[in-house]
Amino acid sequence: MVMKKNTWQATLFLLPAALLFLIFFYRPLLENVYLSFFQWNMISPTMKFVGGANYQNIFASAELVKILWNTLFLVLVLLILNFLLPYIYSYILGHLITRFNFFYRSALFLPSCISLAVASIIFLWFYNPLAGPLSVILNSIGMESPRWFKENGLVIIAVGSIIGWKTFGYNLIVMLAAMVAVPKELIEAAKLENASNWIIFKRIIIPMTSPTALYVFTITVVFGLQYMLVPVNMLTQGGPDQGSSNLVYIVYQYAFVFFQTGKSAAFAVLTMLFYMAFLVAKNKFLDKKVHYEN
Amino acid sequence: MKKFSKLCAVLCAGALALSLSGCGGEQNTTKTSDKKVQIEYWHVAAESFGGATVKELVADFNKKHPNIEVVEKYNPDMYKGLTQNLQAAIASGKNPDVVQMGWSYLNYAAENFKYTDLNSMLAKEVPGDKDFLAKNFLPNVLALAQTDDGKQIGVPYSISVPVLFINPELFAKAGLDPKNPPKTWKELAAAAKQIKEKTGDVGFFMQEYADNWAQQAIIESNGGSMLKKVDGKVKASFATPEAAEAYQLLADMVQNGSGLHATNEEGFQAFLSGKVGMVCTTIGKRANFEKSAKFPVLVARFPIFEGKTLKVPAGGNFLMMFSKDSAKQKAAWEFIKYLESPEAMSKWSTGTGYLPPVKDIEKNSPTFKELVQNNKNVQVALSTMPNLVKWASFPGANGLQAEQMLIDVRDVILSGKDSAKNALTQTEEKINKLL
Repeated sequence: MVMKKNTWQATLFLLPAALLFLIFFYRPLLENVYLSFFQWNMISPTMKFVGGANYQNIFASAELVKILWNTLFLVLVLLILNFLLPYIYSYILGHLITRFNFFYRSALFLPSCISLAVASIIFLWFYNPLAGPLSVILNSIGMESPRWFKENGLVIIAVGSIIGWKTFGYNLIVMLAAMVAVPKELIEAAKLENASNWIIFKRIIIPMTSPTALYVFTITVVFGLQYMLVPVNMLTQGGPDQGSSNLVYIVYQYAFVFFQTGKSAAFAVLTMLFYMAFLVAKNKFLDKKVHYEN
Repeated sequence: MKKFSKLCAVLCAGALALSLSGCGGEQNTTKTSDKKVQIEYWHVAAESFGGATVKELVADFNKKHPNIEVVEKYNPDMYKGLTQNLQAAIASGKNPDVVQMGWSYLNYAAENFKYTDLNSMLAKEVPGDKDFLAKNFLPNVLALAQTDDGKQIGVPYSISVPVLFINPELFAKAGLDPKNPPKTWKELAAAAKQIKEKTGDVGFFMQEYADNWAQQAIIESNGGSMLKKVDGKVKASFATPEAAEAYQLLADMVQNGSGLHATNEEGFQAFLSGKVGMVCTTIGKRANFEKSAKFPVLVARFPIFEGKTLKVPAGGNFLMMFSKDSAKQKAAWEFIKYLESPEAMSKWSTGTGYLPPVKDIEKNSPTFKELVQNNKNVQVALSTMPNLVKWASFPGANGLQAEQMLIDVRDVILSGKDSAKNALTQTEEKINKLL
């Protein structure tokens, strides 16, 4: 009896959130699947049913392979800049450096307060192959600046670095909180046993901070691919020759640049599957290695 | 089971409540029409691109017409951005009244948007202005805002032509005469090379906006064409030796280091900081360049190919009307007439660098006459007006994607990944499959 009362109350409390979630998150997802079977430009009163033609079209094109590679490469760049680096920096800040700690924290966090659009413009200037500061440095050591936003591969690193610059600080602060929470006694004890910094890092820090690390890892991938839209749309529009396009941008491009809603929806379904695969992999392989205290 | 049905009931109640509250909100917003007619004007003029002039014109119009209130709305990302917003606005039933539409979206707009047909609207609502269009525009200019079958879908408003902007200081440093800029593409390539060799800076940059406008000018000036009609169907037709030769000339300049291949903003930044000798882009950038550059910017005509006619596509925009009811249509027409009046036109031209499409403006507007007399750069641009052609606009649902393919192929050719001939042939095939 008590049990039943509890579930009834729990349902009631959950309901507002669940409803909003169903209406604003899951219904659009389903509608998107529905849209992907049509050819439609968003304003025409008639939607033409085309079955799986949109999907067929996508799988037959060379575009898909290129875009998948671009997406994976961008994820790799983002993981290095926004997961690996904050991890190492936060360890250094939390346990190795004792002076000017506050200054470093604020200095590194500062870029997070700047909007991505502004960051994009700053980096456009920074990477300018003729007049930018980077090209001046490269020229002074006898190298010619590459055309950052016009070369395949390089463009993804350039775009990734903009997102990296912006989100690095936030991820660092989150990681740092976890680093500082590692009990000092444990580390002191390890030091008494003559453990090196590397051993302390590997045996104590990594396991103790793993839940936060997993969180940072996940938001790096999931948010990073969304942040990408601003610099890509402002600076490259997916170019050169789709060199900076990826699974998320292509959805935007087909829907709001080409007004081909059906094909865009089909790409969105594929993107959904991509994220699902990522989350399944994350749960299956990474969650097991995480050490939760409770 | 019981639990489930309970849950269902609550869910339904919640949904009902939500939908009811939604209705309530809507009732409040629909008001009966006021005496003052409010119309919305959508434009693409950013602060660095005539935004202040739009505000000035709208304020002036509102002051002179107490019964009309124009609300201006800036749309970022140029005509692409405006078309996207318009698409969304029309889908939700809240359309603006007057919009600036880019020339390259002409076909797309005609096929997909329910616009107000000006000629029949004028005949019905404002019979006195029936001949306004014919009286104020040259036939070839008026034709720019017509579809292939001769339907007038808007009124020409801003005209821009591609021109050559020159940095005279770099020219002098390289031993070139800035007073005597290159007249042909061959001369231009040689001048670019000389700048590179003598000064180490780059000689030439052609705009790389997300459109094919300037590239169309060089292709068509060499005798190529973007589109042709086969059995009443429009097809891409740019895979010709002439087009390839023109494009290859650009690619060769990039390959030997005298030309720049970069994003549009990077190219302009580099030019304004004195690192590029010549930039080929729209005369619409004149006011901005003259203000931001550290050197006195000179304008030269778009170069020709020896023995061939110059053909420059008209850039800029025309005004389309989307008003539905009679009062708004009349108000919107009043506003369009104001925008096309000599004084407003002359302000717009001064603020942006666009060329005015209306007839005899030099006679009717003393301020514009003064501008032309004092600014040689405007004179140069005006002198290419007789060479105006239509900006190629691909028809059909995939038209906008076709435009993107032209942008993609530009990257392929300019980065030297493939020869112009191969790349253009492949792209033409792809586009024709799409159309």
